Amino acid sequence: MDKRKLSSTKDRAAHRIKIIRGHLNKIEKMIVDDEYCVDIVHQSRAVQSALKKLDLLLIEDHLNHCVVHQIKNNEEEIKYLRQKNELDQQQIKSLNTLIAELSKRLSDSESLKSHFISNISNELVNPFTSVLALTENILNVDKENWKKVISMISLMHTEVFNLDFQLKNIFAAAKFEAGETIPEISLVNIDQCIIDTIKYFKYEARRKKVSIKCLSQHENIPVYFKTDKEKFELLISNLISNAIKFSYPQSEVLIKINISEKELITEVVDFGEGISQKNQKVVFDRFKRSEDGISSINRGHGLGLSVNKAIIDILNGKISFTTELEKGTTFKIMIPEPSEKTKGEELFGEDIFFKEEKF
Amino acid sequence: MNHINIGISKHIYLYPSTLFASKDKKEIHTVLGSCISICLFDPVNNIGGINHYMLPIWNGEGLASPKYGNIALEKLLEKMGNLGAQTNNLKAKIFGGAEILSNPGNRKFSVGFKNTILATEYLEKLRIPIIARSTGGNLGRKIIYDTSTNEIIQRFIKPNKINDEQLK
Repeated sequence: MDKRKLSSTKDRAAHRIKIIRGHLNKIEKMIVDDEYCVDIVHQSRAVQSALKKLDLLLIEDHLNHCVVHQIKNNEEEIKYLRQKNELDQQQIKSLNTLIAELSKRLSDSESLKSHFISNISNELVNPFTSVLALTENILNVDKENWKKVISMISLMHTEVFNLDFQLKNIFAAAKFEAGETIPEISLVNIDQCIIDTIKYFKYEARRKKVSIKCLSQHENIPVYFKTDKEKFELLISNLISNAIKFSYPQSEVLIKINISEKELITEVVDFGEGISQKNQKVVFDRFKRSEDGISSINRGHGLGLSVNKAIIDILNGKISFTTELEKGTTFKIMIPEPSEKTKGEELFGEDIFFKEEKF
Repeated sequence: MNHINIGISKHIYLYPSTLFASKDKKEIHTVLGSCISICLFDPVNNIGGINHYMLPIWNGEGLASPKYGNIALEKLLEKMGNLGAQTNNLKAKIFGGAEILSNPGNRKFSVGFKNTILATEYLEKLRIPIIARSTGGNLGRKIIYDTSTNEIIQRFIKPNKINDEQLK
């Protein structure tokens, strides 16, 4: 009995079949020998009961192995689905936070829309009004007081300069938003480019009593780099403008240039108020300024850095910043040298897998 | 047009986040990974246009440029409208949206897939029929678009070196 239990189901089934075959042979023999019908029926009954036992054996085995296996399989599948579900839920959660963020942005943009007119008057109309007033004043100055004119002209310059700079960014942003901006690559004298930009901000820096210094790693040797001159200049201008804006008086703004074979790294360092944690997230947003409110002392649409982000995108570079409150901020931009091939071709190579398809 | 052609070749290379529309015969080349190009054509007025967007929806970050699908489609419609195209004449063809960066387990949320969904849904909302499409898969595509005939030649291309940062 014990031995039987230990032996595998296969062996037991084979044993059963042997018995059944024996019984069948017996029946055949009984029929041939013309034995008593009832005895034959007895024998046939025995065959049937043996077959039933075989069925039971097989069903038992099926329960023990196949079904258990299937249950295990199902469990694994359930586990997998549960994991997937969790992943989906995480995604949904992140989407929900995104939606919350978006609705906040939407309400922000609504309030911005309502402030639009006052912003515009601040940024565009006020400079014109003061320039107009100043010119009138200059026209009325007596000959003896000609020295006054110089200070008036310097005020006028500030107004016009700001206007000019604002418009540059507005046009750049409009071109980006129209999808018309493409890189125009040429060999650029980077040093000269920086010097020109610093010159552009000369009076602005003087007004805020900030000195701008350029630290090149390649002293006295003009360095050339293949990039888009106009966009690079605007990039640097925006960074310098911000650096001056947020500098403390009597401090410095440093521009560090480092050109390696494949990339141009420019850093603009200021020693000013820094960027608060709350504002670090929205630095590159359109129309965001670190100060809320319309009547802030510092001007600008906050368009500069979002234009910078777009320029960096198109030049395939990277922009990042480190900041410390009341210590200052460093903006770092990295621009790679563009290759002869266009961006897409460079990434994918020219391998053609299939024949050309027409659509 | 504001597009300046670089080099000697006659075709125009369409950079990501830009768009192009013209009444004349122009050959536009572009390369797509998870990005999508929607080609719109007005057969009545013979005006063709194409965009190339990288992400589905502008979330208020940075400029509202055609880097984002919803803006890219609106701007293209606007530009073609300015050239005289009628929205109800338009037929669309869409290309791209490959899943190059995504992890295979979570296909639903890959950039390419989301880009494709956006194109399909927006065009449906605008009742612009999509008459041809080749989207998804995990191969890049190079397409050449003829703005005067609405004919597009597509080649599949093998990714050279996949750079997650660049290929957004």
